[in-house]
Amino acid sequence: MRCTQVPLSDIAVGQSAVIVTLGITGPLRRRLFALGMLTGETITVRRVAPLGDPLELEVKGYRLSLRKAEAGRILVAPRA
Amino acid sequence: MPTLRVALAGNPNVGKSTLFNALTGARQHVGNWPGKTVMQASGTFQVDGLTVEVIDLPGAYSLSSFSPEEAVARDYIVCEQPDLVVDVVDAANLERNLYLTTQIRETGAPLLLALTMTDLATQRGLCVDCHALSDALGGVPVVPATAQQNGGLAALRTAFQRWATGETRAEAPPPFDPPIEDAITTLAAAIAAQPDLARRYPPRWLAIQLLEGDEELLGLLAAADHAPIAAALAASRDRLRQTYGDDIDLAIAEARYRQARAAVARAVRQPATPVVTFSERVDRVVTHRILGIPIFLALMYLVFNLVQNVSAPYLDWIDGLFSGPLTRRAVALLALLHAPAWITALTVDGIIAGVGSVLVFVPGLLVLYLALALLEDSGYLARAAFVMDRALGALGLHGKSFIPLILGFGCNVPAVYATRTIENRSARVLTGMLIPFMSCSARLPVYVVFGMALFPQNADLVIWAMYLVGIVVAAAAGLVLSRTVFAGAGRGAFVLELPPYRLPSLPTVWWQAWQHTAGFIRKAGTIILAVSVALWLLLNLPWGVSDPRDSAFGQASSTLAPLFAPAGFGTWQAAGALVTGVMAKEVVVSTLAQIYAGQADEPESADTTTVGDDLAGVAGGFGLATVEASKRLLDALTPGVTLFPEEGEPEETVLSQALRTAFTPLAGIAFLLFVLLYVPCVATIGAQAQEFGWRWASLSLVMTLVLPWTVATLVYQAGRLLGAG
Repeated sequence: MRCTQVPLSDIAVGQSAVIVTLGITGPLRRRLFALGMLTGETITVRRVAPLGDPLELEVKGYRLSLRKAEAGRILVAPRA
Repeated sequence: MPTLRVALAGNPNVGKSTLFNALTGARQHVGNWPGKTVMQASGTFQVDGLTVEVIDLPGAYSLSSFSPEEAVARDYIVCEQPDLVVDVVDAANLERNLYLTTQIRETGAPLLLALTMTDLATQRGLCVDCHALSDALGGVPVVPATAQQNGGLAALRTAFQRWATGETRAEAPPPFDPPIEDAITTLAAAIAAQPDLARRYPPRWLAIQLLEGDEELLGLLAAADHAPIAAALAASRDRLRQTYGDDIDLAIAEARYRQARAAVARAVRQPATPVVTFSERVDRVVTHRILGIPIFLALMYLVFNLVQNVSAPYLDWIDGLFSGPLTRRAVALLALLHAPAWITALTVDGIIAGVGSVLVFVPGLLVLYLALALLEDSGYLARAAFVMDRALGALGLHGKSFIPLILGFGCNVPAVYATRTIENRSARVLTGMLIPFMSCSARLPVYVVFGMALFPQNADLVIWAMYLVGIVVAAAAGLVLSRTVFAGAGRGAFVLELPPYRLPSLPTVWWQAWQHTAGFIRKAGTIILAVSVALWLLLNLPWGVSDPRDSAFGQASSTLAPLFAPAGFGTWQAAGALVTGVMAKEVVVSTLAQIYAGQADEPESADTTTVGDDLAGVAGGFGLATVEASKRLLDALTPGVTLFPEEGEPEETVLSQALRTAFTPLAGIAFLLFVLLYVPCVATIGAQAQEFGWRWASLSLVMTLVLPWTVATLVYQAGRLLGAG
């Protein structure tokens, strides 16, 4: 079965997903690598800020905040 | 005596500053990195005849050029070649922390791991085996070093000693995948053939960075002699593209994380079931969908309450110290030396009054910085940026902009320096352009004096309105600037770690607050002192002038006065006060007092008070101020508080009578609006020039001259039309 790919920004709070591609280039791409946002990594969306943006993610056991604009460029495969 | 030069590296939020303070105590030196606006702290300590010099590098997630901080850390480790790099690693967040470790190993720098936050790890049910971790990292020594527990530091000190005697050396890091490793070897050979590069950078390390595509280091290849390296790089990339496509950098990062994961797997025992952490429970409230923003506003309100209430008694004490005992002693001493009258006047009215006008801000700033350092060290400030980012985004600002903006209410100068934490340049500069509209504590005395004189019943309301207008104007300016000058610039990505909440370390909090305050005293102090001496001269030239209006200063002010007529305060006195206010805004009040009341602060004749009396008075005054401050601290921490302490009975001073004659209530409001919005002070302009360049400082200058004039004139003219004033 082919797994569906959706932007990380579409994942609901409390859901987990696996990174498929990081559609981001330049220094920000290497920064996200350093922070553990690699292909194959499982991410959980933990919270949305009170005004609807940014997101709070859990990755490698710590909390990272990212705007929906950047999260929308990261394609993930949702996990059941 | 041998010296060991040690660099402390590590991710942000791992307790690095706490460790640095615990190691070096008071023997520290703080300055800027040469040519950079990044703070550098170093210190020394002794272990059994060995002198250890510790350099605290800025926090970094990787050795890249993503932010000025990371570039400083990288350049120091790679180019300055310290005797030892101590990588401070968070035991509760080991895998991500080890990414930096793998990068430091690639540089070939001698490395030691200091494990912090072991207590937090234990709470989460994690158990880290230092020996296993060391083995997994090719023998890099791993030492537990939780600064709060002194046993941890003893182990670290012993490790330094053992290092100095040259016992331990670790293996080289494991190779990358064969195709990448081949490319690295080829490139490293090409780099080694260029002596100017090979002298500065380890060739293998530089080769890895070039393959990853670090923009700053790729810039090195622009030089003509480096064409062979550029050619080798292009060839390697082409070959690697067949295996990895466009993901060469990903493959390198993955290899590092594989090492990190393997080390964690060997050294860390995970809990059977994940624990719902204390942090998670706090965040459910603090970043709550509905409660999040009210909690943020309440916390900021509390901080300002503390600043106003707790610092006020000390402020009075310092004020009294300068105008009383210090002036008396200086006058007595100069009389003893038969100094001419003008030297006495210059010392008392120029220098002592000038220094005093800087130091009265110190208590308030110190309290503000203490409160913010507490919030930062506890982990809340990151949440505040998280909560506020969207709202600030509408103004073209970044979530991290709010800290500098809030600092601006204390003093604009350190606020401008605090914009450094924003990585994106346009968001950083825009924040710096809006800071002058934050009503700093120097403007409050002006509001208070005018409010009391012209609106005795509603002074509080007038003061509140000024703060509010400042915020509204800043928001409007942000809206306009982000859509014009900064159009299309973007405000940069928001990538922010939300570290776990923890109990702040009080020495670290104190240290941070003191560094900020001392920085203010150094920078603002010199400028304000120089300007107050110059102003004194202008007020007294031509020499022997009796009426201030005939002085050089008075004449210049008379020339400027007609400019302010449309705004309702076209007198030379008002113009003069505004001109001196450019030095520091609270000077507006003292200038008006000098001009209107003729209170030229005649140097008091040396009276009969003895030095002993003065010393006793000063010490007693400090004690009383402390008692008063503690009372107010308790008051402030209990609900039902008022933001502004009672300013005493509205005194019927000569000045308030004069103000009532000179200003109609409408003109008074227009004048206050002008004071709120015009050039904060020379020191702020200087700070803007230093941080953003003269172009931006000039834009800010123009903005803070045109906007206040327009607003004051509009309000005055509209008010007149409506029949007020």
